[in-house]
Amino acid sequence: MQSMTNMRDHIISRRYQVELGPPRQDAPDLRAALDQFAQRYRRVLDSGYVAGITDNSMGLLAFQGTETIIELGLPVNPGQVMIHLNTFHTLENLHQILEDCLRLGIRQLLIISGDGSDRLPRLQPEEVGATQVAAVTAVELLAYIHRVYPGRFELGAAFNPYEPREHELDKLARKLQAGASFLITQPLLSKNAVVDEVLRRYPDLPVFVEAWMSRRISLLSEAVGYEIKDDPSFDPILTLKQLHRDYPDCGIYLSLLGFKTQYDLLGDTWVTRHTEG
Amino acid sequence: MKIVVCVKQVPASSDAQIDPVTKRIVREGTRAVLNPFDTYALEEGVRLARQLGGQVIALSMGPPKAEACLREAISLGVDQAILLSDRAFGGSDTYATSYALARAIDTIGGVGLVICGKQAVDGDTAQVGPGIAAHLGWAQATYVMKVERADKDGLRLRRMNEEGWDVVEVGFPCVLTVLKDINQPRVPTLRGVLSAMEEQIPVWTPADIGADTGKLGLDGSPTRVVRTAPPPPRQTASKRLAGSPAQVAGELVADLRTRGIL
Repeated sequence: MQSMTNMRDHIISRRYQVELGPPRQDAPDLRAALDQFAQRYRRVLDSGYVAGITDNSMGLLAFQGTETIIELGLPVNPGQVMIHLNTFHTLENLHQILEDCLRLGIRQLLIISGDGSDRLPRLQPEEVGATQVAAVTAVELLAYIHRVYPGRFELGAAFNPYEPREHELDKLARKLQAGASFLITQPLLSKNAVVDEVLRRYPDLPVFVEAWMSRRISLLSEAVGYEIKDDPSFDPILTLKQLHRDYPDCGIYLSLLGFKTQYDLLGDTWVTRHTEG
Repeated sequence: MKIVVCVKQVPASSDAQIDPVTKRIVREGTRAVLNPFDTYALEEGVRLARQLGGQVIALSMGPPKAEACLREAISLGVDQAILLSDRAFGGSDTYATSYALARAIDTIGGVGLVICGKQAVDGDTAQVGPGIAAHLGWAQATYVMKVERADKDGLRLRRMNEEGWDVVEVGFPCVLTVLKDINQPRVPTLRGVLSAMEEQIPVWTPADIGADTGKLGLDGSPTRVVRTAPPPPRQTASKRLAGSPAQVAGELVADLRTRGIL
């Protein structure tokens, strides 16, 4: 098996995880959207960061990360590509994606339940050997991949500190039991007590806190479950630096990063207690 | 055997408007999509062609921009697409449309099965599929929710009726209209979409299909829309429950019991 970069290494080596969305199925100009994806992807890899490629984010139909990489002939550097994989696939399609990942040398997968839509199929419990549940969630998908592809992938899970605390901590325990070996949180705007509890309970678990890089924090409302109003004074770069200070032993996952206005500023943002002396 | 799947480009439901003068759907300037029911027909056509062998052809009638829905059909796995497009087709009602489609199916030749979505979401008539069968003089099965068996002799189908469903057997050639229950349509692949973008789609005129132009367009359409009216708004009410989770749950259960739902 090809050697895999451990997610812990990304934290030690200060490699950002940068979220990238493949072109949507309804892109008005698909070729332009593919060109933009390719440019951003190459830029992330050239920077030494990790591209985290979404899977039909928000239930909106998009092309798969693996097929886009294959079709565009993009390079895959070991450890620098992480694929999101949700439960809205046929079993055949799921295996196609996993086999493509192996063929491309992609080992890191972020396993999430995901957002469905009328146009997306959903894995059925019996297909993944989950006979005790009514619906497949990230827990069952993690367990299935862990069982069918033992040792072939480094599997991650999502953590939502805005869900009821005990429920989410219990779900996290089940995700870890099912095979997750790293964690990515929902976006944090400041230090969060539930995330702190996770770090206390699992000191050896690589945790990546998500930084919301859009100025429109109102878009976060759905994730957190209450209304957040846009604040003209919100500065994503300053918030990112603060997250580094608050979570010096965590990695950072950047969502909605502005490639034109923010990307070049990233080099100076990874401040830690070490760099600040 | 050739399988023809009839598809239609329709206004995205959120954009649909009725012209107050002509009483017809305004198609200009609106976002157009593949009729959602037709994606199920396409999926079933592709599956049956794999099972029985043969070729799947997507067929549509509409303005030149309707080509987009045929490209989507190609990306979903059909082998070929044909567009019927000419001013003479404009204004056709379901009778004239099904006549034109039947003429095209006859022109293609060697077709054993025609599949349509249950209905188009713009007109909501559910008449074109049965109309095609009538014009061709073929058997038809409407509201098909499952193909129980398919072989060279024909199909064993489960079709929805008012009480539930019944099972029918039908030989080829035949016409089916299908429900959403019948399958889970695939999502187009990037490779499929890119190759569909390169595909040449033939455009047929009335002359190409040997159609009598007197049976097409407004002149060939016996339907007259004399009046349209929006349906009365639904009576809805919402109530927000407050309190602890236990209080809210208790109040909800009590309310549902009062209404006879529980």
